[in-house]
Amino acid sequence: MKSAVGTSVERIEAWEKVTGKAKYTGDFYSPGTLHARLVTSSIAHGRILSIDFSKARKQTGVRAVLDGKSFPALFGTLLEDQPALAIDKVRYFGEPLAIIVAASEAEASLAAELVEVEYEPLPVINSAQESVQQGAPLIHEAMMSYKKGANDLLPQAGTNVAASFQIRKGNLSHGWAASEVVIEEHYSLPGSDHAAMEVRVAQAEIKPGGTVEIMASTQSPFAVKKQVSKLFNIPEGKVVVRVPFLGGGFGGKAAVYLEVLAYMASFAVGGSPVRLTITREQDMASCPARLGLEADIKLGAARDGTIVAAEMLFLLDTGAYCTSSPYMSKAIAADCTGPYNIENLWCDSLCVYTNHIPATSFRGFAHESYTFCIERALDALANRCGIDPLELRLKNAIQPGHFSPTQVRITSSNAGNTSACIQKLSSLINWEEGIRIELGDGKVRAKGMSCLWKTSTSPTDASAGAILTFNSDGSLNLNTGVVEMGSGGQTQLAQMLADRMKMDIGRVHVRLDVDTQLNPHYWKTVASMTTYMAGRAVIKAADDAIAQLKAIASVALRCPPEELELGHEYVYLRSDPQFGISFQKLVQGFKYPNGNAVGGQIIGRGSFIMGHLTPLSPETGKGKTGPDWTVGAQAVEVELDTTEFTYRIIKAATVMDVGKLINPRAAEGIICGGMSMGLSLASREYFPYNGRGVMQATSLRNYKLLHIGQEPDYLVGFVETPQEDSPYGARVFSEHGIIGIPAALANALSTASNSSLNRLPITPETIWKSYMGGKP
Amino acid sequence: MIAHDFDYYRPDTMKEAYGIYQKLSAMDKSPAYYAGGSEVITMSRAGSILPGAVVDLKAIPECTYMGFADEGLMIGACVTLSAIAESKLFPMLGTAVSRIADHTNQCRITLGGNVCGTIIYRESVLPLLLTDCSVYLWGANGERRVPIKDVFHQRVMLKKGEFITRFAIDQKWLGVPYIHVKKTKNEKIDYPLLTLVALLEGGDIRMAFSGLCEFPFRSSRIEDTLNGPDCTISEKAERITHQLPGPCLDNLDGSAEYRAFVLKNTVYKVLQKFKEMPNGRI
Repeated sequence: MKSAVGTSVERIEAWEKVTGKAKYTGDFYSPGTLHARLVTSSIAHGRILSIDFSKARKQTGVRAVLDGKSFPALFGTLLEDQPALAIDKVRYFGEPLAIIVAASEAEASLAAELVEVEYEPLPVINSAQESVQQGAPLIHEAMMSYKKGANDLLPQAGTNVAASFQIRKGNLSHGWAASEVVIEEHYSLPGSDHAAMEVRVAQAEIKPGGTVEIMASTQSPFAVKKQVSKLFNIPEGKVVVRVPFLGGGFGGKAAVYLEVLAYMASFAVGGSPVRLTITREQDMASCPARLGLEADIKLGAARDGTIVAAEMLFLLDTGAYCTSSPYMSKAIAADCTGPYNIENLWCDSLCVYTNHIPATSFRGFAHESYTFCIERALDALANRCGIDPLELRLKNAIQPGHFSPTQVRITSSNAGNTSACIQKLSSLINWEEGIRIELGDGKVRAKGMSCLWKTSTSPTDASAGAILTFNSDGSLNLNTGVVEMGSGGQTQLAQMLADRMKMDIGRVHVRLDVDTQLNPHYWKTVASMTTYMAGRAVIKAADDAIAQLKAIASVALRCPPEELELGHEYVYLRSDPQFGISFQKLVQGFKYPNGNAVGGQIIGRGSFIMGHLTPLSPETGKGKTGPDWTVGAQAVEVELDTTEFTYRIIKAATVMDVGKLINPRAAEGIICGGMSMGLSLASREYFPYNGRGVMQATSLRNYKLLHIGQEPDYLVGFVETPQEDSPYGARVFSEHGIIGIPAALANALSTASNSSLNRLPITPETIWKSYMGGKP
Repeated sequence: MIAHDFDYYRPDTMKEAYGIYQKLSAMDKSPAYYAGGSEVITMSRAGSILPGAVVDLKAIPECTYMGFADEGLMIGACVTLSAIAESKLFPMLGTAVSRIADHTNQCRITLGGNVCGTIIYRESVLPLLLTDCSVYLWGANGERRVPIKDVFHQRVMLKKGEFITRFAIDQKWLGVPYIHVKKTKNEKIDYPLLTLVALLEGGDIRMAFSGLCEFPFRSSRIEDTLNGPDCTISEKAERITHQLPGPCLDNLDGSAEYRAFVLKNTVYKVLQKFKEMPNGRI
């Protein structure tokens, strides 16, 4: 039998999805459910003088109105800085400040328009740089008194800095002394939207017996359970969270938020079921989005391009509230160099408040943002040294024996093979033909590249679990608690399980939706960790089931279990494979011919908890945030019209060290998806704010995404350097396809236009401006 | 969703439509004529218009007819952009309308709706302006036919309750060589930084623009410059950036300075192309 691992099996949920029958949270509606609508702030920063509900209450169908006073507690995973609904002041345009609950969505919506809010505007902080200016107004005056969910944040009193992390490695003054070439550049990336196809939604009901039932589009059902329990003082077992399919998460559905509001809304109407529907416009303006980032990077190198010193400052614009941003600042610090060896290194990574939309995790967990900065800096350095950018990267690529920024010793198991990725990329994109080719008529074809690496930044005790049960026909049911959001994680788990059990993948049935009461605990479906964390749990559960199968088979076959083997849903004697017994006769107990039964049903269980992770030292940043890195190299090829600065993206390429390919076609697909998202981000997507901090693009009419049909040719290659502690040596890579693409595009267009494009997004106008140096 | 209720009418004749509209106006229903619906839907959703009633014109035969008559090619106001493009009857218009919105919306948006729309670009009017088409309007005295230049100044000047029923384009324009250029910020499906449609008529250039000002336009001043003697095409391109009939748009899609750059560049390239044409005398 061909193993399921290494085969391009189709996704388990494929037929549901391609026929349009797959159900998402919004598709589950029971009669009698009430509707909640948010009332949101129309200014970016201001004191709330009054909220007048009198007209709204008169609207037919209105059952309840809520504002910040309805539940005046603060919450947050890392820093408890956020009220459920704005209290006393609003801190961003679009901030939810009231909820209307009504019999129908239309009535709730009409009533929401009738709520009158009076504000006293406050000075607006419109960028991360303004936020760290001396004397900048404080967005959270009480920041230092906020409760922390993590003790490594180091907020800075009297400032807008909510968290800070630093790396101090080697000896920087020695580094500068040894530098023959120094470059220093500033980089700026605006925030943007996740733009998942499914807008966020949450439903809540409080049953007469006190059980709280929540259904939501969330990547973190177990975190929802825990937070709702804690916030509202409900026993955790009384909170049940369900998640059907998720129509795209990209990190944007990892933060707990709407679930809290939905609970409050249900509570306000005596526990009746309430659905909180978010419009696309609110999904964009009110729900957490992707971070903005400002960076200053200074690199010192020997004339041959060997980097000997680096100093970096990152200002992460977390907007009005933190959500998971402090740990994105941490992730930036921990991986700040990219997959390169830099022995003398300083990095300061600050998470700062502004009056922008709150930032939360986004595909790449900030790696897609800081990588833009470091990889643009590498191209600047290559230019200055007169070295080919690919050569420069090869020369500095991290190798076993080097140390990461947080001083973890690099091995081929924990960091793969960056050099091999670069070399394979070189042939995939035909780097040798030259990176800038004049085509005549003012047209130029150019290539740019970027490397990437990423490890996770989970809690040090993040865990996963797996439960296997059997059907009476011998087939298997897999139950993990992983949310299915399109990354194909569940399919890969099924492949691993089928391989381990040596059975056909068609005989592995996967529970796709999550119910916190039925599924084993799973930290969150984030950080691309499904194959690693849940994978380890599944393998353990399989081994547990195998041991039980052998134990009961040893009774039936009258031999010691160690003489038994498994295959094709049979347990058989190694020395005589014809002598065996089918799963079918074992999995629900073995019955003797006389009717006596033994064994009982087989239930496999497995769990996994992260090992050897440590917090970062506040002085040096020494520590370990994630188990392993996945590395890769990416390139983009463009054609620029130098007379009008318009460009076409011709090719995008990725070579990723995936450790071991579990599902080749699925792997290509998810990497292409990442590249597409990276190109969209780098060429179009951003949140524009006016001078008063009001977001100007809150609908897909003026927020532009790369459309189908505008994609370039995608090229994907793989390197397989096993990760020893992972199932099958496989590395995680669901997010990673996005990471280096914005930098690769910027490098290609900078080369093509002979200018320095250090801001995103890159449009013909920004190239024109950069080329003209601001002079039309 | 659209939370507000509104009444829906679908008259079968032009006369009936006008009558219903008048009646609804008298009842303070603030009615809106409804063709493809894309603007009514999005604007109502955004809360920027709240019609109490809509009068759907799509059941009126004159408004949905596309074909030839004595006056030339007749295109009903409710013919969709995709139908115009697919018919290939008027390639210049077909090209212009297939760069408005995405295909899904092109199957909904109508020619009349786009010409009358509240979204300022109205790119479908450019070929109509260049070919001096006739516009049929239905109003208090029934149908009347007017040259487009008499009814389109920045936008369609309609009397209250009046609506466009169809457009008539003289046969001679249908196959005329033309140049269409649309420049956007970066995304193909977007509002224009500049949309330019141009053709040669008896050796003279006609050119109409959208995306430059708060309205689409054709300008005799600009055409005089383009067709005037005594200067190079580069000078002409430069000169017309100072001859716009209103302030250059400055918005999220592009700054005024950049639009001027795009205009100059694009006009230069278009003039060069015309120069290479057999009848060009630039």
